[in-house]
Amino acid sequence: MMRWCLSFFLFGFLAVVNALSSSGNRLLVVLEDASEQSNYSTFWEDLKARGYDIAFESPKNDKLSLFELGERAYDHLLLLPPKSKGFGPSLSPKNIVDFLNKDGNVLLALSGKSTTPSAISSLLLELDLHLSTDRSSIVVDHFNYDTISAAEKHDVLLLQRPGQLRPDTKSYFDGEGVLALPRVAPHTLGDNILIAPILRAPATAYSYNPKEENAAIEDIAATGSQLALVSTLQTRSSSRFTLLGSVESLQDKWFTATVKAPGSGKETTTVNQEFAKQLTAWTFKETGVLKVGKIEHHLAQDEITAQDLNPTIYRVKNETVFSIEVSEYSYDKFVPFELPADDALQLEFTMLSPFHRLKLKPAYHTENSTVFRTQFTVPDQHGIFSFRVNYKRPFLTNIEEKHEVTVRHFAHNEFARSWKISGAWVWIAGLWSVIGGFMAFVAVWLYSEPTSAKVKKNQ
Amino acid sequence: MAESPLNVLLKGNTGRNTRGLLRIIILGTIAAAAVSSRLFSVIRFESIIHEFDPWFNFRATKYLVQHGFYSFWDWFDDRTWHPLGRVTGGTLYPGLMVTSGVIYHILRFLTIPVDIRNICVLLAPGFSGLTALAMYFLTCEMSTSPSAGLLAAAFMGIVPGYISRSVAGSYDNEAIAIFLLVFTFFLWIKAVKNGSIMWGALTALFYGYMVSAWGGYVFITNLIPLHVFVLLCMGRYSSRIYISYTTWYALGTLASMQIPFVGFLPIRNSDHMSALGIFGLLQLVAFADFVRGFIPGKHFQRLLTTMIIVVFGAAFVGLVVLTVSGVIAPWSGRFYSLWDTGYAKIHIPIIASVSEHQPTAWPAFFFDLNFLIWLFPAGVYMCFRDLKDEHVFVIIYSVLASYFAGVMVRLMLTLTPIVCVAAALALSTILDTYVLATPGPNPKAKVVEDTSSEPLRSARKPDVGITSYLSKLVVTSSVVIYLLLFVAHCTWVTSNAYSSPSVVLASRMPDGSQHIIDDYREAYYWLRQNTPHNAKVMSWWDYGYQIGGMADRPTLVDNNTWNNTHIATVGKAMSSREEVSYPILRQHDVDYVLVVFGGLLGYSGDDINKFLWMVRIAEGIWPDEVKERDFFTARGEYRVDDQATPTMRNSLMYKMSYYNYHTMFQGGQAVDRVRGAKLPAEGPQLSTLEEAFTSENWIIRIYKVKDLDNLNRDHGNAVAFDRGHKRKRATKKKGPRVLRTE
Repeated sequence: MMRWCLSFFLFGFLAVVNALSSSGNRLLVVLEDASEQSNYSTFWEDLKARGYDIAFESPKNDKLSLFELGERAYDHLLLLPPKSKGFGPSLSPKNIVDFLNKDGNVLLALSGKSTTPSAISSLLLELDLHLSTDRSSIVVDHFNYDTISAAEKHDVLLLQRPGQLRPDTKSYFDGEGVLALPRVAPHTLGDNILIAPILRAPATAYSYNPKEENAAIEDIAATGSQLALVSTLQTRSSSRFTLLGSVESLQDKWFTATVKAPGSGKETTTVNQEFAKQLTAWTFKETGVLKVGKIEHHLAQDEITAQDLNPTIYRVKNETVFSIEVSEYSYDKFVPFELPADDALQLEFTMLSPFHRLKLKPAYHTENSTVFRTQFTVPDQHGIFSFRVNYKRPFLTNIEEKHEVTVRHFAHNEFARSWKISGAWVWIAGLWSVIGGFMAFVAVWLYSEPTSAKVKKNQ
Repeated sequence: MAESPLNVLLKGNTGRNTRGLLRIIILGTIAAAAVSSRLFSVIRFESIIHEFDPWFNFRATKYLVQHGFYSFWDWFDDRTWHPLGRVTGGTLYPGLMVTSGVIYHILRFLTIPVDIRNICVLLAPGFSGLTALAMYFLTCEMSTSPSAGLLAAAFMGIVPGYISRSVAGSYDNEAIAIFLLVFTFFLWIKAVKNGSIMWGALTALFYGYMVSAWGGYVFITNLIPLHVFVLLCMGRYSSRIYISYTTWYALGTLASMQIPFVGFLPIRNSDHMSALGIFGLLQLVAFADFVRGFIPGKHFQRLLTTMIIVVFGAAFVGLVVLTVSGVIAPWSGRFYSLWDTGYAKIHIPIIASVSEHQPTAWPAFFFDLNFLIWLFPAGVYMCFRDLKDEHVFVIIYSVLASYFAGVMVRLMLTLTPIVCVAAALALSTILDTYVLATPGPNPKAKVVEDTSSEPLRSARKPDVGITSYLSKLVVTSSVVIYLLLFVAHCTWVTSNAYSSPSVVLASRMPDGSQHIIDDYREAYYWLRQNTPHNAKVMSWWDYGYQIGGMADRPTLVDNNTWNNTHIATVGKAMSSREEVSYPILRQHDVDYVLVVFGGLLGYSGDDINKFLWMVRIAEGIWPDEVKERDFFTARGEYRVDDQATPTMRNSLMYKMSYYNYHTMFQGGQAVDRVRGAKLPAEGPQLSTLEEAFTSENWIIRIYKVKDLDNLNRDHGNAVAFDRGHKRKRATKKKGPRVLRTE
C-alpha cells in the first residue's frame, strides 16, 4: 500500500515537473504514415524535451478516440496532413470541434504537396478559415523564394519572423532570422473576430495551382497579404487552434537548411526550429496564458478587515476600490503580467451598459503576478451592477470576469439631517414659529380664561 | 344565519343583560362562521399561499421577520426587476406585513411557536371575523333596529364578494384593508355624529393604518370629503362636521405621509385634491358662518356670493396652473380607466391586461352578493326616508361604489360592505315590521316613520296585515328561506369558486375523485434545486412573484408593474425572432426562460393566450419592431396552427411553447387543446435556447439560454453543424471582398 502511494506520488511529481504546458502534457500526434515520423525527429525531440507525452496514432486506427468516457483523452492534438480523403470517423470535424469546445488545443498542419481533404476544408469552414476552392493551391512568390532549393518553382518562401500583429498586442513569434516555408497551402481569413493571423504571405505572393495548367487569372481568390500562411483561432473558452500552411517546414531537413534569398542575399540557416517551438508553445498553452488571481473590491477606507472585502452590497455614491491580480504563464512558470505599451486593462461597472469604464493601473507586483487597481465612485443609480473585466486580445487567453454587486439606495437614516441643509432653515424656522406661536396662544388662552362659558360653547 | 329571527323573537321578553350576552354570543358565532367558511381552501388543498400577489407579501413578511423592521423599511430588493432592482421598502404598503410580523412576535413572546406561513395563511380569515364585528358597529350607527347590526355582521361574514379576497391563504392587502375600511367608516360616522376630536383622531389613526395597508385608501380619501361636501350643499354645516373633518384631515394626512410609498402624494396628486379642497372650503364655510353672526342678512348674501366666486375662481386657476406646471401630478392612468373603460385598453395595455381590471359582468353581482343585491336598493331607499348625516354617507357610498364595481371587477370588494349595510337595513325593517308588531304594542318610532313618508306608503304592506298570523308567517318564513338560500349559496360559491389556490389546480378524475395538478410547484422547485442561486429567470410578469417566492430566483419582471419599459422589453423578447431576442436575453443576464403552456391539458390561462398582451405592451414602446397586426392572419384570426403567420411562428414564445410538442403525438396529429388547433407536423426549431425542464403536464416549460458559441458561430449554424449538416461555402458573395487589414 505504502509503495503504491509512494509510486503514485512520485509519478504525479514527475508529471508536474514535466508538464510545462499550463494545460496538460498529453499530446496526440495523428500521422497517417508511420514511416514519415522519422522525418520530423528533431521536432518530436524538442517537444519531448519540453515535457510532452507524445502518442503517435494513425487515423486508420479504429480504437483511436479523442474522448474517453466523455472526457478528453488528450490535452493537445497535432494533425499532420493525411494523404487519403480525411482523418476518418474518429477525427471528424465534429469531433475536433468538440475537442476544441472541451478546451483541447489543436495544431493542424497542411501541405501544398497534396490536395487537402474536404473533411478538413469543412472543419476550417466552421472556424471561418477558407481554403482555395480547388484545395491544392500553393503560394508562389517570385521575390521572396529560396534560390537554393526552389530556383525554378519559386515555391519555398523565405520570410522574416512575424512581429507585433497590432500595437496593442504582445508578440510571441518574433525574433531574428529567416523562415523557410516550402510549398505552403494558403488560406484566407473570414471575419471571425476570434481569428488572428500569425504569418501572412508577402505582398508579392499569389496562390497558384501547379496541377492546373491554364488557371484563369480572374479566379484567384486572394493574393498578397490576404493570403495567410499561419493563422490561429482562440475560442471563447481560450482553447487554441493553429493552422500551419506548410507541414514540411517542421521537417528535420528544413530545421537545418541553408537558404539564400534572391538578389544579393547571403546564405543563412533557417530559424524554423525556433519558430516551431514558438508556434507549438503558443498553441499548447505554454505562452500567452493569463491567470486571474485574487479579485478584491471594497470601500475606500484606510483599514480593511477580512469582512470588508468583497461585500455583496454597496450604496450609491460609495467610494470603491477594485483590484485584480493577473499573471502570465511563460513556458514553465507564472510571471507578472505586463501590458503591451498601447493597451490597457479596463474595469467596467455595468448595469445593462457601463456606467464607468476605467483603466486599471498596475499597483504593485508580486513574485509572479501584477496587481492592477483603480478607485471610483459608485454611480448615483441603484440596481444590480457588475464589476467586469473583459480583456480579450489576440494571442492572450481571455479574461472575462464578472462580479455582481448590489447598489442600494440611501437608507432612511443616511440622509443629511435637516438642520445641516441650509435650504431647510426657512422651513425649520416656520415650523418652530408655528409651534411657538401655538404654545404662546395656549398660554394666553389659559391665562385669560373668560368667566362666562358662553363663548366656549359656541366654539 | 338563523340567529337573526331567533334574536328578534327573544327581544322584549328578556332583560337587557341577557340580550347583551346573547348579542356577544351571536357576534362570536358570526365571527367563527366567517373564519371557518374561509378554511375550505386549507381543507381542500393545504395551508398554502395563494395566487400571485400573496407570494410577494409572504416573501416580504419573511424578510421583515428575519431582518427586522428597519432593514425592511430600507429594503433594496436585488432579486426582482433584474438588473434594476426594486426599492421594495419604499414602494409597498407595509401594513399587511407589519401586522403579520407583530402577530408573529406576540405569539413568540407568549411562547407559542407558530410558523410565519401559517400566520400569513390565516390572517385573512382572522381579520374577516373582525370585519364582521366592525360591520356590526357601523350598521348599528345607521339604524335603531337591534337586528340590523347583527344581520349586517352575518352578511359581511359570509358574503362571497368579500370571501373572494379573504379565503385562507389569500394573503393580500385586501385581507386587512376591508376591515380597516369598514372600521374607519364606523369611526367617521361616530365622529360626525358626536363632533368629537377623539373620534376624529381615531378615524385619522385607522385611516393611517389603512393607508399603510392598501392603495384603496384613496377611496376613503375621496369619500369622506364627498360626504362633507354633500352635507354642506344640503345646508347641514355644523361645528360637528367642522371638528371631525379638520381633525381627520390634518392628522390623517400627516399619518398617510409617513408611508414612504405615499410620501408627498397627499399634497401633490390630483387624486387627493378633493380632500384638500374640502378642507379649504370648510374653513371658508366656517368663516362665513362666523361672519353671519355680525352682518345683516342682505349684506351677508352679497358678501357670500362674491366670496364664493372669488375663492372658487382662484382655487380653480391655482389648480390648473399647478397641474400644468407639474407640481400636482396629473391623474393616474388607473384613475382615468375608472371613468372611461376603454381608456386603459388604448393607452395603458399593462393595466388592461389584468383580468381584475376588466369591467364587471352582470351575473357577477348576483354571484357575489346573491339576494343582497336586490335588498340593496331597498336599504338605500330606507336611508332616504330617514335622512340623517350618516344616511347621507350610506347613499353616497352606495352610488359611488356601485359605479366603481361596475367598472372594475376588483372594486366589487368596496361595494360589498355597503351592500351588506343597506341590505341589513332593509331586511331588519321588514323583520321589525312583521315580527315585532304582533306581540306588543307598536313602537312609536314606526308610527312616526309611517306618517313621514306618506307618498311612498302604498309601496309597502299596510299595517293591517301585521296582526294576521298568516302574513306574519308568510313573510318571516320567506325571509328565513331567503336567508337559508343565501347561506347555501355563499357556502357553495366559497367552496367551488373562491377556494382554489391557483398555484395548485384541481381536476376531477372520471370516477369523480379529485386529482391535483401540481405543475407550478414542480417547476418552481426544479428551479430551486437545479439552478444556481443567482440564475436569472425571465418569464411574463404574472409569474414573477411566484418565482421569487417559490423558486427563490431573481426575475426580470414581476406583478409589481412599476416599470413598463422593462415589461415591454420582456414582451419584445418573447414576441420577436430568436435573432432579435437573444441579444436582449444576453444583455439582461437571463439564464432561464419560463413559459406556461396549457395546450396539452387544456389549461386556458397560458402564455399563448396572454401573448397578445405581451405584443401590445411591446408595441407601445417599439411600434416599429413589434406589430400586433403581424400576429393575425390576413383574415384577422389569431391562429397557432399551420395557418399561423410567419411572425407568430418565428416568435420566441410560439417556439418555446410548441418546441418538441409534436413528439407527444403519433404521426403529426399534434393538437393544442386550449385553442382547438391542429398543429403542423414539423415542430419549431430552437437554436439559441435549449429545453431544460418540462413539467408533468407540460404546463411549465423552462429553457436555458445558451452561451455564445465557443467558435463565434451563429447559433443556427452551430446547431446545424451539430446535427451533421455541412455548411455551404459562401464564396459566391456579391460585391467587393471584405479584406482583413490587421
